[in-house]
Amino acid sequence: MFGINDPQIWSAYLLALGFTLACMVYGLLNWNNGGDEMHGS
Amino acid sequence: MAVNTITLAAVTLLYLAAIITLGWLGYRHTKEHEDYLVAGRRIHPAILALSYGATFISTSAIVGFGGVAAQLGMGLIWLTVLNIGVGIFLAFIIFGKKTREIGQRLHAVTFPDLLGKCYASKFMRYAAGLVIVVAMPLYTAAILIGGARFIETTLAIPYDSALLGFAAIVALYVVLGGLIAVMYTDAMQGAIMLVGMTILLVLTYVHLGGVMEAHAALDSLTSMVPEAMVAAGHTGWTSMPVLGSPLWLTLVTTIVLGVGIGVLAQPQLVVRFMTVKDSRAIHRAVFIGGPFILMMTGVAFTVGALTNVYFVQNTGSIALEVAGGNVDAIIPAYINASMPDIFIIVFMLALLAAAMSTLSSLIHTMGTALGHDIWRSIRGNVPSLRASQTGCVLMIVVSVGLAYLMPVSIIARATAMFMGLCAAAFLPAYAAALYARTPSRNAAIASLVAGTTAWFLWTAFVHKAESSVLGVSQAIFGVPALLSNFWQVVDPLIIALPLSTVVLLVGMALDRTGADTGEIIGEGDAGEALR
Repeated sequence: MFGINDPQIWSAYLLALGFTLACMVYGLLNWNNGGDEMHGS
Repeated sequence: MAVNTITLAAVTLLYLAAIITLGWLGYRHTKEHEDYLVAGRRIHPAILALSYGATFISTSAIVGFGGVAAQLGMGLIWLTVLNIGVGIFLAFIIFGKKTREIGQRLHAVTFPDLLGKCYASKFMRYAAGLVIVVAMPLYTAAILIGGARFIETTLAIPYDSALLGFAAIVALYVVLGGLIAVMYTDAMQGAIMLVGMTILLVLTYVHLGGVMEAHAALDSLTSMVPEAMVAAGHTGWTSMPVLGSPLWLTLVTTIVLGVGIGVLAQPQLVVRFMTVKDSRAIHRAVFIGGPFILMMTGVAFTVGALTNVYFVQNTGSIALEVAGGNVDAIIPAYINASMPDIFIIVFMLALLAAAMSTLSSLIHTMGTALGHDIWRSIRGNVPSLRASQTGCVLMIVVSVGLAYLMPVSIIARATAMFMGLCAAAFLPAYAAALYARTPSRNAAIASLVAGTTAWFLWTAFVHKAESSVLGVSQAIFGVPALLSNFWQVVDPLIIALPLSTVVLLVGMALDRTGADTGEIIGEGDAGEALR
């Protein structure tokens, strides 16, 4: 995969891309959640 | 560098003008201590994400670790996995949201302040402040030296002038504009870094004929790995070192786990979670932070490894040989040799931005730890801008002094050392402060002390990379490091963090019967119980 033979390396690339995607999906799904939570100030 | 020095100087001046303007904006918006310490808790999510990322990624992460990737290969991508998975996803969602919520509720304004208020313990605040004030100047000196060397070679400015000028410009906007100035400038610097790294990735693959072709070419170079590296476990630049070999242990324990986990309890990063007004801002920042870090370390490590293909094709030698054995010189040598002049300027700015964004955050964190968490707290004064500003001035003076006094061999280890120390000392207590139903003050203190002590002992007596430089083991026992060869390459974090975690858990279990957690400290705005 990606022209790399060692699964320990290409799986790291897959995981890095997967976590990036997870960050983006999480951000989008919760884009408007948790607004106006100002406490005690 | 090969580019015209006048053009370079003009672009640098434009960049500095933009930095000073943003610093002035920070100064204008800083009216009280909460503005100075947590940017008034009203920072935009995009600025949070870029500032966090730019602080996280220093020049050494790009040039230093990029060079290590040229030496060890693509295995460093596991650090990118942790950078994004732990440093962004876990850090923002599990730690960040709770830190913001509790920080706001308790009016905490720094990392030591947060620990002190969560545990209703002055000791926790002082101890955390002390670790920052004692250990962070080394890390800061490393950033200062790296930045000054870089300015010296690119702008042809004498080293002393570069070091003092670099420190003075950053100190100016940090001291006057506080965290608002720091985060505004960080965001601009982060954007420059993003542009630089994107161009670097695209041009590298274009040079090498495409993604698959470049990786296949790197794979074919395995026979060129130096014999000494093969003996240490190197199996090629597109594969992991031999399991359990010295190179594998260094890659996995020091680089991947040490730096990857160490980021979770970095005081200069934790404080950023307290600069936004609600969880919505954290959610939106995660959306930007993940791709940003991928484009920083992911690109640096991939391009770092691929420099071998470029140099073998153009000079017949691998990257490390071309750089004369100096890992730190590989990325600059590659940029100079392979990139068009205009990109050399963009990349120079990106590296300058990376150094400045990290340096400004460190000065702010050290200064507020000294001025707000230690000095003001000891004297029992109300929070003031002046105490933090004075702290920032003193800490930059100390850091500049260290940059001149400390041996380069110690400075070179400073980044990994500071990250490891922070995780070992703070991470268990920080996590328990956020999530434990009954956070035990005694357990947290024991964990902090055990983690710090174990980290120091392992660093001074066992982990050869540091103990041989510090010389304590040599002076006392007549050998540079104790224990067997295997243990001498295991990072201090791997020993100290589990120990501080176990101490915390045992302490919490023992303290349940007689715990008096949540007790009011009884000073100013700290007089609030957490639960």
